Amino acid sequence: MPAFDYNFQKLEPIRSFKSVPEDEQYLPGHRTCAGCGPALNYRLVAKAAGKDTIFVGPTGCMYVANASYLCTPYAVSWIHAQITNAGAVASGIEAAFKMAARKGRHTGPFPNIIVMGGDGGSVDIGLQAMSGMMYRGHKVLFICYDNESYANTGIQTSPTTPYGAATTFTPPGKEIPEGKTLFPKNVPQMVIGGHPAVKYVATTTIAHPLDLMNKVRKALSKPGPTFLHILCPCPKGWLFDEKLTPDMAKLAVETGMWSNYEWEDGVYKYTQVPKKYKPVSDYMKPQGRFAHLKPEHIAKMQAFVDEKIKQVQRPIPVAAAVPAKQSA
Amino acid sequence: MAKESMMTGCRAAAEGAKAAEVEVICSYPIRPYTAIMMELAKMVANGELNAEFIHGEGEHAQVSVVLGASAAGARAYTGSSGVGVTYAMEVYSPMAGGRYPVQMSIADRTLDPPGDFGSEHTDAMSTRDQGWLLGWAATPQEVYDNTLMSYRIGEDHRVMLPQMVCQDGYFISHIPDKVTIGEVSQVKEFLPPYRPIHPLSLTNPVSHGPQIRPDQGAPMDAMRAQTFLAVPKVIEEATADFARIFGRKYDPFVEQYKLEDAEIAFFIMGAHSNTARTAVDKLRKEGVKAGMARLRWVRPWPTHQLAEALGHVKAVGVIETSTSYGSAMRGGNLIHELRASLYDLDDRPLVTSFMGGLGGETIWPADFDYMAGVLTKMVKEKRTDRYVYWLGM
Amino acid sequence: MAKALPGYGTIDVPKDRVVPFGAVTPAPVGTQPLFQTSNWRVVRPVRDDEKCTRCLQCYMACPDACWVYKAEGETLEWVGDFCKGCQVCIAQCPEEGALVAVPELDFEGGVVRLEKPF
Repeated sequence: MPAFDYNFQKLEPIRSFKSVPEDEQYLPGHRTCAGCGPALNYRLVAKAAGKDTIFVGPTGCMYVANASYLCTPYAVSWIHAQITNAGAVASGIEAAFKMAARKGRHTGPFPNIIVMGGDGGSVDIGLQAMSGMMYRGHKVLFICYDNESYANTGIQTSPTTPYGAATTFTPPGKEIPEGKTLFPKNVPQMVIGGHPAVKYVATTTIAHPLDLMNKVRKALSKPGPTFLHILCPCPKGWLFDEKLTPDMAKLAVETGMWSNYEWEDGVYKYTQVPKKYKPVSDYMKPQGRFAHLKPEHIAKMQAFVDEKIKQVQRPIPVAAAVPAKQSA
Repeated sequence: MAKESMMTGCRAAAEGAKAAEVEVICSYPIRPYTAIMMELAKMVANGELNAEFIHGEGEHAQVSVVLGASAAGARAYTGSSGVGVTYAMEVYSPMAGGRYPVQMSIADRTLDPPGDFGSEHTDAMSTRDQGWLLGWAATPQEVYDNTLMSYRIGEDHRVMLPQMVCQDGYFISHIPDKVTIGEVSQVKEFLPPYRPIHPLSLTNPVSHGPQIRPDQGAPMDAMRAQTFLAVPKVIEEATADFARIFGRKYDPFVEQYKLEDAEIAFFIMGAHSNTARTAVDKLRKEGVKAGMARLRWVRPWPTHQLAEALGHVKAVGVIETSTSYGSAMRGGNLIHELRASLYDLDDRPLVTSFMGGLGGETIWPADFDYMAGVLTKMVKEKRTDRYVYWLGM
Repeated sequence: MAKALPGYGTIDVPKDRVVPFGAVTPAPVGTQPLFQTSNWRVVRPVRDDEKCTRCLQCYMACPDACWVYKAEGETLEWVGDFCKGCQVCIAQCPEEGALVAVPELDFEGGVVRLEKPF
C-alpha cells in the first residue's frame, strides 16, 4: 500500500503579533469565566490552525462553557466527544478523511484535526483513547489544555493537580493538612516515553502566545500524531484575581513549576529557561488553592520542583527503539 | 452468478460488510465475534476491500472510532460480544442521538461473571433502551442479509440510526451453513452509498452536539421517538426490495411458522428457532396444533404485528436465552414486551416463559416436548401457573 | 380481535421547541450572538491612543477577542459586545496609563444601567 499523501496545509511560522492571522476561528460569545485561561488558549490555537480545521471537544469546561445552549463559538467544524474517548473519535474522523481523499471525494489539503482535551480528558479518564491514537499514528494534534483540575464539575482533583492544592475532593483538614497529597503525572513524558509513532511533543503556556501558536503550526505540519501540553491557569479553580491569568502562567515558568520545551526527532529543546529560578512560594502565594499550606509543605513542593529543574539542565534521554525514518 | 458456499455466521457478516464497501472498520478481539474482524483484516490486507482497518484499544474505543468516522461521512463498521458490548455502553446513546448510522455486528456471548464463551442474548439486549435498531439473525445467510438490510434501513434519511445486527455466538457465528453471496450489481441496486446529512466539513462548518438546556432535552427525546414511528415502514420497504432483488423473502418483523391455526406457540429469537421449527413439525405429526413465531427485530418492537400473529393462539411460550434478574417475570426480557403486545386483545393468549439455552447450551427436542406439554396443560386448565420455567432445573 | 388495538399516537413538537436534527447546528459566523456576556462586566478597558505603543499585548491576551486589530491602517478597536471586564488586557498592558479600567456606571450606555440583562 503506498504511503498516504496528506497534502499538508501551508502554515508558516508567525513572527510577530502583527502578523498573527486576523480571522478568529474561536468566536466571541461563550460562557467561559472572565479571564479564562483555556478560552484564551482555544482562541490562540484556532487562530494558528486556521479555517481548514476540525475540533474534537471532549466534555469539560471547553465543552460545557462554550456550548451551553445548543450553540457554539466555533467558526470551524466541531464535534462533541465523551470525556473518555476524544482520541478515538478523532481517529475515526482522520480515517474517514483518508478514505474520502483516497476515493476522490475530498480534494484539497487534509484537515487539521485537533483534540482540545482537558487534563482529565487527556491523561485520566481519556488516557486510554489518547494513547491508542498516539500508538496508531493518526495525523491528529492532541492538545491537553491543563487547568490542573476537573474544573467544569466544580474543581475536583485530577492527575495534574499539584501537590498541596485544595480542591473539592482534596480539601485540607485536620487529618490531611496539605489537601492534595499526591504528586501529578508527567504528561508529556507519558506520551514521549512509549509511543513510537508520535512525531512531536511540546509544552507551552497561554502567556507565551507566539510560542504557543508556532508550536501548534509545527505540530500540524507533521505526518502523524502530535501532542501539546499547555498550561492554562484557571482563576476560579486556583483562586487568584482573574486579571492575572497570564501572569500566573509566567510565574509557573519563572519558578520551574512549568517548563516550556519541544521534543522533536528525539531531541529536547527548552525555551524561556530562567537564568535564576524564583522560589515556588512566589507562585503559590497569590493562589488561594495553596493558602492552607505550612512551610513544610512548601518545602516539599520546592524539592519536587528542584528535581524537575535538574531535568531542564539534563534533558531526559529516550531509547530510540524506532529508526528515524518511518513510513507515514 | 450468485455464489453459494458453506460459511459461518462470522464470515457471512464480513462478506456483508465487504459487499457494503464499508470504509472504516474498528476491531478489537473478543470471542466469538473476533472471526468477523479476522476475515475483514484479510480482505483489507489483500486489497479485496478498500477500507481503513483500525485497531481499537478496546470496545469503548471501537464504538467511538466509528462514531467519528460516520460523523465525517464514512460508512463505518464494528462489532463485539459479551462484556465488550456492555463496556461500550456509554457511547451508544451519543451514537443514536447524534444520528450516526454505523453498524455493529454482535455475536452474542454470555455476560461475565465469570467468562463463558457460550451464547446468551443479554449482551445486546442490555442496550435496547439506547436508541439503536436491534435485530437477530437465525442463520448465517440471514446474517449476511441483515447486514445489507440494516445499512439500507439505518442510512435511510427517514431513519439515520445505528444498527446492531446480532447472531448467536457459536451456533450461528461458528457453524457453517449455506450462504449465497450477492452479485455486485444486486448489492449496488439494493444499497445506495451513505449520504450523511451534515457531515464534519471544511466547506460547510457545523457543530455536532452542543450542550443543551433541560427544556431542550424533551424535544430532543421526542424527535428521536418520532423517528422510531417512521422506522417500521422503512423496514417493510427494504425487506420487500431485498426479496425482489436477491430472491430471499423474509417476513419483515416476525417469521410465522405454522401459526395460522396454532393453539400453542413458541415465541423465540435467534439460533434455537431452527430446533423449534423441527419441534413444531414433530408436534404437528403427533396431532398437536403447534406453531412458532420468530422475532427478527427487537427495536423497533413489532407490537401490532405480534398481536396479529399470536392473537388467536391459546398459549404462548416465550423461549428466553437471556436474563433479566429481578424483572417482573423473574426470567428473561422478551416476555414483558410480548405480554404487553398482547395485553389489549379481547381474548388474549396465556403467556409463560422458558429459560433455555442459557450459558450457550443446546435446547433439545426433548425440551420442546416438555414445553409443549406445559403449554397444552395451560390451555386445558385455562390458566397460567407460573411466569417462568427454568428448563432442566 | 374485535376491538382495535391502541396506537402510538402522534408526537407534535411545537415549532418553537424543535431542536436541530441530531443536535447539529451550523457554525456561527463572526460572533456567537446567543451568548451575550457584556452584561457580566462592571468596568471596561479604555485605551489612550497617544500612550498606546501598539504592542498588541491586549489583543493577544483577550479570551473573548474584544480587541480587534487590523494590519491595514494599524487600527486597534475595542468591541465591547462580549467584554466580560476581566481586565487581563489592562494587567498585560506595559505602558503606564495606556489602558485603564473605567466603571460601567460612568457610561451613558453602560451595561450596569440596563433595565433588563438582554
